Amino acid sequence: MTWISKTITVFGGLLLAHACYSAQEHAALQSFKAAATSTLTSSTPVASSLPVDIAIETIVATLVTVLGLVLGTRPLRPIQWRVWAGKIEREGEEGFLGNNGEVEKDYMGNPFSYLESRPSFVDIRKQRKEFADFVVKQ
Amino acid sequence: MLSEKDYQISPIVQESVMHNSKSLQNLQSLSASLFGISAGILGLESYSGFLFYIFFSFLTSLLMYIIRVAPSTFPKEYKDNKGTDNGLGSGVGGVNKYFRGGFEFWAGGIMNGFAGLC
Repeated sequence: MTWISKTITVFGGLLLAHACYSAQEHAALQSFKAAATSTLTSSTPVASSLPVDIAIETIVATLVTVLGLVLGTRPLRPIQWRVWAGKIEREGEEGFLGNNGEVEKDYMGNPFSYLESRPSFVDIRKQRKEFADFVVKQ
Repeated sequence: MLSEKDYQISPIVQESVMHNSKSLQNLQSLSASLFGISAGILGLESYSGFLFYIFFSFLTSLLMYIIRVAPSTFPKEYKDNKGTDNGLGSGVGGVNKYFRGGFEFWAGGIMNGFAGLC
């Protein structure tokens, strides 16, 4: 997923750079024209605004770049404890993957895992049977 | 506003709150500089430039909502329980699943611009 957002962001950046260059060229042309006409007729130059295609390109470039940036944000996490813990219980590490497909670094693990390892909940008979089977096999 | 007792009954994961607001602020500061560039190219100043900034920062929040918040709050979870006790809270459209309040999410981009004011 990360390459999609990066591609979109870079494409938007290129569009924005092109729009910026076009606007700069337009301004340069206007000042050149004004200089040329003022020497001939000595009338005050009419300042023209930005052509509509450059304006549209700028806005589209902004939207495309923002779309890329939003797609590049890390997935949000539920803030309420029960929703968050339920998500961990259901999905485990699968629910906390970053954009690059790896588990995020600050993923803490299941907050209830200590409940499973309490001594009172150990099935001692099962463990003894397993050990007996192991001894018989040896 | 929730009282202390409400937080004891339904606790909040601080790490998740920080993670979410950090990624939101990161996006907002990145996009704010971008809006500055665009406004500069378009030659917008004072009032129109400010309106441009407000409009686009709201649009960023909307995109964030559509891409990150809505897909995980609207599927089956939300439709099954009508949003009463499934952790979506009372916020419109389930913003409260990820943020303390709707204001932080929708107006954060504008309010972050006034550093020190709030």
